[in-house]
Order: sequence, then C-alpha cells, then structure tokens
Amino acid sequence: MSETESVLELRAVTKCFGEGDARIEVLKGLDVHVTRGEFVAIMGPSGSGKSTLLNIIGCLDHPTTGAYFLDGEDVGKLSDNRLSTIRNERIGFVFQSFNLVSQLTVLENVEVPFVYRRPHPSGVRERCRALLDSVGLGHRLKHLPSQLSGGERQRVAIARALANDPVLILADEPTGNLDTETGEDVLRLLEGLHAEGRTIVMITHDADVAARANRCIHIQDGRIGEAA
Amino acid sequence: MRLLSMALRNLRGYALRSFLTTLGVVFGVASVITMLAIGAGAEQALLDEIGRLGIGNIILNTVKPPEATQDKGGGGGGWVHEYGLNYKDLAMIRNTVPGVGRALPVHRRNPRVWHKSRKVDATAYAVKPDHLKLFGYEVVRGRPLTHLDEASLRQVCLVRSGLIQQLKSFQDPLGMDLLINGLWYRIVGVLKDDAFRGYAASALGINSKTKEIYVPYRTEIAKRGTREHRRRQGSFEATDVKLHQIVIEVENPDEVVKVAQMVRRVLTKNHDDEDWKMVVPLEVLRQRRKTQQVFTYAMVAIASISLLVGGIGIANIMLATVTERTREIGIRRALGAKRRHIVAQFLTETTVLSTLGGILGVAVSFGLISLMQNFTGWDAIVKPISIVLALTISMGTGIVFGIFPARRAAMLDPIAALRHE
Repeated sequence: MSETESVLELRAVTKCFGEGDARIEVLKGLDVHVTRGEFVAIMGPSGSGKSTLLNIIGCLDHPTTGAYFLDGEDVGKLSDNRLSTIRNERIGFVFQSFNLVSQLTVLENVEVPFVYRRPHPSGVRERCRALLDSVGLGHRLKHLPSQLSGGERQRVAIARALANDPVLILADEPTGNLDTETGEDVLRLLEGLHAEGRTIVMITHDADVAARANRCIHIQDGRIGEAA
Repeated sequence: MRLLSMALRNLRGYALRSFLTTLGVVFGVASVITMLAIGAGAEQALLDEIGRLGIGNIILNTVKPPEATQDKGGGGGGWVHEYGLNYKDLAMIRNTVPGVGRALPVHRRNPRVWHKSRKVDATAYAVKPDHLKLFGYEVVRGRPLTHLDEASLRQVCLVRSGLIQQLKSFQDPLGMDLLINGLWYRIVGVLKDDAFRGYAASALGINSKTKEIYVPYRTEIAKRGTREHRRRQGSFEATDVKLHQIVIEVENPDEVVKVAQMVRRVLTKNHDDEDWKMVVPLEVLRQRRKTQQVFTYAMVAIASISLLVGGIGIANIMLATVTERTREIGIRRALGAKRRHIVAQFLTETTVLSTLGGILGVAVSFGLISLMQNFTGWDAIVKPISIVLALTISMGTGIVFGIFPARRAAMLDPIAALRHE
C-alpha cells in the first residue's frame, strides 16, 4: 500500500452473478478510495449495484475481479472464516432495518460481536453499557428490541457497530426506515462519530442525507458517476 | 457456558414448542428405561425363583416312564409298578461321585390327611432334617425336624401355615394331631407361607395347589414303607417308588456342571428306562437368563424406535426454526460469527433440548414404572447404568439430528440471510 492513510481501497472491482447466458455484470470496474476519518456517502438509484458494492466493502462477498484493500490488507480473496474475523474486528454495520436479534436484550445485542471473539475480552459489559449511555439508551439495557421505537433501535444498532471499535462504519440507508425527525437524530449521531475521527461509509438514495457527508460517490449502472 | 445459556434462552423463548418437540425424546427415553427396568426386574425375579433351589445343588426327580415295563410280581395278587430312583442310585452317588457333599433322599406321598372329621388336601414329604436347611425353609412357630426325630422314629411333622387355615380350628396348631394315611403325626412346627413359585416348585415336585407336610424320612419309610396302593378301575394297583427325589449338594458350586455329568453317567448305567430327570438350577438359570436378556433387548430395540422418531421430530422442528431464524443467522454472520459458531449454536440448542427431554423422560419412566407396578405387580428395577445410558443416548440423539439443521443454518449465504423477511 502506498498510502497508509487509506482505510478502504477498491481497484477495478467487478462483480458478476450467474453463469453463461444468464451472467449479469453488476459492477463494471469500480475504483473507490476512502481515507481515514472521511464521511462518504454512496448514492445511486436501486439496481445501480450499490448494495453489491456495500456487500463487498462489508466483507460479506468477494469481488469477481479486482482488488480490495481494507486498512492496508488485501481482503479480496480471503476465506469465509477470515472474512468473518475481519467483519468481527474491523467493521461496524448499521442496517436500514436495524437487524437486532429479537430474543436478546438491548445490552446483549450490543455484546453480540464479542461472543465470537477468542479469547473472550474482559470488560465487555462495561464497555457496551457505556456505549449505550453515549447514544442515550442507558436506561433501556434490559429491554427487548420490540419494546423500543425505530429511532431507539437504530441507536442500539449504532452502539453495536461501535462495540468492536471498528476502522470502518458501514451504514446501509440508516435513515430509510425512520421518520424525518428520528432520522435526523441518527444522522447527528453519525456526524458526531465522524467528528470523533471515525471513518464512515453510508449508502443512501436520499440526496439530503447524502449532503451531510463530506463526499458523495454516485453509482450509475455499475460505474462511478461524477463526484459531488 | 455462553453457548449453553444462549441455547436455554432461545428454548425458553419458544417454551411450548420446545416442550412439544422434545416430547418424542421424553417418551423414547421413558420407554427405554421402563423396558430395561422390567427386564432387570424379571431377571431378579428369575434369580429369586431359581436361586432358591440353590445354584450349588442338583435335583434328581423320579418320573413315571411312558410304559412301566419293569413289572414285578407283588403281594396280594396285583401288579406292582416299580420305577424311579432307588437306594442303589443314592448309595452310588454318595460313594462314587467325587465332589458330592450331601445327597438327601425324599419320598413323597399323596395322603388322605384327616384332622378330626375334616379332610385336608396335602402332600406329605418324607425328608431328612438337612433338606429343610438346604432350601432355607423358615420355621415361624415351633421347631424344625431334628436328627433325633429320625433316630427315634418320632411321628412329628411340619406344616405350611396355609394348611392350618384349612383345618378351620381355633386351637393352637402346635401339638395338634393329624391322621396321615392312618398314622398319627403331631405338628411340631409351622413353616412360613412362602411356597416355591413357578419353575422352582415344579423342580422340587411341589404342587402349589396342595399344602406341604414334612415328616421325618426314616419314620415314614420305617412305618409305612414305600409301596402305595390305589384303587383304580375296580382293581388295586400298587406302585413302588423307592425315592421320589434325590437332592445333591455339591461341595464346590463351581463344579456343579462336572458333578452333574458324572451323576448322569451313573444313573444312565443304572436305569434302562427314562424314569428319572435331572434339574441343575445353575444351568436352568443361565438358560432362562439368556432368554430373558434376548427378550429385554428386543423390547429396548422397539422402544428405541420411538427415540429415533423423537430425534427426527427434533430435526424437523429445528429445520423450521432455522428458516424462521434466517435473519438472526444473517445478523450474527455479519457481526463476525463463523460457520462453526452457527453450527455450535444450533447444535447446542438441539443437544440441550434432547438432553432435557432425556431428563424429563427419566422422571416419566419413574412414574410409569410405579404405575405399572401398582397395576401388574411386576418387578422392575431401575439400574443407574440404564439412566446413564438413556441420557447419553438422548444427548447423542440431539447431536445426530441437530447436525443437519445446524449445517444448513451455517451454509446460508449471509447476504441472502440478512435480506430474508
């Protein structure tokens, strides 16, 4: 890696699905570069390939061709197990539909990433409690997700994304399921994290939301459009 | 530990479903344990029954040959059927077969027994005093037969307590006189009413319908002889059986089979007819036990089928659960769970489920067994090993039938799983 400041670098990434005649090329050679501390929005209409891009960035999927460097490590060809470890240690996910485990309490949901750590780190409970405090949910630790409002659930999800102290926070339409007001809370939270120096990549199709980021990458039909 | 508490929590979340899922295992385990307990109980009953004959003993019985060919002229113009074991046999067994401890003669008679004007159904056994000790007869009142009774030809007897009830007398039975085939015998002792059952009774030639009376061997033989007259079809028929039974006590119980072979050889030489039969309790016990075990294993195998069905039930529900919890699996994968973590999670759940089912099954089996004992009176013994076995099997069921759903869960594509509604 030439630049140590780079958190995320995609080089000529393509992604194809299907075989033979049914083969569809979803990503057609993308170069994306995100440096440490950036707040980047990825925009594009549905079907543009932004979800596929997110899956690759989130280490949930491999690119068909091209290279992906996360925090200086080539993760493009790693095994399923290694990718799991990387997700566990370096990436914090915030999803549109929150994706909390419904049987677990708020506190336990935040602790989930640590369940898969070996050896089991100490002080997890205290750390998670502090994180929930910082998103204003210190009084809801024993609640189940179903007992919370949408905004509260997304704040739990953000606390969870921060739990493993990730190098990259990946937000997939974090405000998509929220009304304007609570969406605004969540955006402010993300901006706060950015202010703390965290790297955030956010996917959205809402131009107003995208405007909150310091850079916007447009994706159109599997290619990068003009940067805003 | 974390896996375990997670599994328990998930199962509690679907308490009713978990309970119903595990029901198959519950009944499977319950029936396996119950079958094992019945088997163990039956084996114990067998041991009690045949064990009372003494595994160090050999019993020889006289049997009536199909045709009594050895007719010899007797007194009174009739024929005397003479067959069965005789004094020569007894002497030869005592003197020529090594390893024989005591060899005790028994003479049996179906007498007419009278007490005052009341007739009693009974069988009289003329036995040596040692005979009662050998088979562990328990005298509840009075005294046992003694060598002195024999030596001085006393006319005394021991009776089963059941016989006293038949006398319908309110007197003290001790000292009562019974007229047995025209000879007066005085009751000196009462035996506990624990007659031999089943095979043991038949091996000793005891008819469980009639009550036993035991008289000193020498008294009976000296005063009554061995010949028996019976009126039949208008003419008298006499039979002369010297000995109805010889009980051999083998000095070293390990040599029973060897001694039995030698005794058999002696008797085969002495007798042309098949007018005797040998019972070796040890061999009978072994044989019966083997049969019993085969039966038990068959029953357990059948019971295991319900365990299998229970396991399939668990697999089925877990597959449904995996589909239902696809989203959760996706979340966990996104947060860094490896495939093996997912396998471990679901496998723990099924194993905990089936093990709990197993524990519940043990509890149910105890209920079932006590219920069964109340209604049928069968013996049942729950051995600790069968509980351990059943729990191990139920745990194994969880693992075996959990692997498929767990692997299925782990192989889910995390991206698709996350999108799953």
